[in-house]
Amino acid sequence: MVLKFYAPQFVGGGIAIVALALAEKQAAFEFVPINMAVKEHKTAEYMAMNPFGQVPAINDDGFAMYESRAICRYLDERFADQGATLVPKAMKERAVVEQAISVESMTFSPPLSKVVGELVVKVRRGLTPDQALADEGLKEISDKLDVYEVILAKHNYLAGDNFTLADLVHYAYAPMLAEKGVDIMTVKERPNVARWWNELMSRPTWVKLKAEGMKSTV
Amino acid sequence: MAILKLYGWPESTATWRVAIVLHEAKVPFEFVNVNILNADYKTPEYLEKQPFGQIPYIDDDGFILFESRAIGRYIAAEHPESKLIPTDPKKHALFEQAASIEFANFDFNADPLIKALARKRFLGQDSDQAPLDAKMETLEGRLDVYEKILAKQRYIAGDEITLADLFHLPRAQFIETYIKSGVMTSSSRPHVARWYDELLSRPSWKAFEGGVKGILEY
Repeated sequence: MVLKFYAPQFVGGGIAIVALALAEKQAAFEFVPINMAVKEHKTAEYMAMNPFGQVPAINDDGFAMYESRAICRYLDERFADQGATLVPKAMKERAVVEQAISVESMTFSPPLSKVVGELVVKVRRGLTPDQALADEGLKEISDKLDVYEVILAKHNYLAGDNFTLADLVHYAYAPMLAEKGVDIMTVKERPNVARWWNELMSRPTWVKLKAEGMKSTV
Repeated sequence: MAILKLYGWPESTATWRVAIVLHEAKVPFEFVNVNILNADYKTPEYLEKQPFGQIPYIDDDGFILFESRAIGRYIAAEHPESKLIPTDPKKHALFEQAASIEFANFDFNADPLIKALARKRFLGQDSDQAPLDAKMETLEGRLDVYEKILAKQRYIAGDEITLADLFHLPRAQFIETYIKSGVMTSSSRPHVARWYDELLSRPSWKAFEGGVKGILEY
């Protein structure tokens, strides 16, 4: 049975990360759309796969799992001989990738979710964004990007010279900023960050995903 | 080979997280106090090692690594006899799922509560209570799901203890002790209480009850 990928048709958040990882690993899969508007992610059937009632989830021939970053790691192992290597095996190289993955979730993501919460989510719901809160988040992100600038002066990607899961996890929310006219990822004051981000935004798997959305390969 | 050095603060939850893993893996280490009251983490010498100016980091015979969870993973990989990360592919995937649950569902909601308390303690700043109450409610909602998971298995990733359980411990204990007693021990979530209690009774926790310190011999 081909791998099933359960998610709404929305290229963002953990869904985007898994969709991108599937593409990077050239994995065959069936896309099973989950309609969140009618709470398909809260049915007993779905919650048997993900008791938190969150998206996305996968079911690989009876093996169900959730949490997007965990799914990406599983795909990397499962399709180890195909596509990009998302997490290297060599111990110290791997540790540096883990370090960068942790920075994204612990340090970069929290202020980013503040900004996205205001400028994207609230606007989508027809509510008025709190610009002061968004600005606070943007200042925090900018401070973190100043450190990314130092790191990216030393190598092409966040954990070395190859694209890894550490770079991939950044596709979850940061692309939404440019869509809202916020150019914090590409300001000329941080040329290394801009170079890195432009590379990520022009990566063929991402371009295709943004253009076509999630589609079954079978 | 030089002894591993852990740079941190004796009461920091992230420093604790590393110390627990070091103890579980029986790794001798020296503890180097970073005076956070003096902002020692902002000196140029410190920033060279940890460019985000956060604690902790390790120096393992010249190999510098930061982010407590990345450090934990590195220690576990260097010491596979500690069995803190399963090797069987499916168990490994479920471990990754659990590790992701820890930061995405537990820490993500615990963090604002802990930061608010730190601002009060160190800066005398009060925070808006309503959003914090909402976060606590969300956290407890997630723990209701943990209750369902832990009713079926002994630990968060399966029937064996892994890094995913250990990663929870410092902040779970902090919230229980300093923010809301009963979150982890309430009889309304008996399996969570059982799990929490088991973790607290491990020697790796008891060793640092008074604060993190170095251990030269086990």
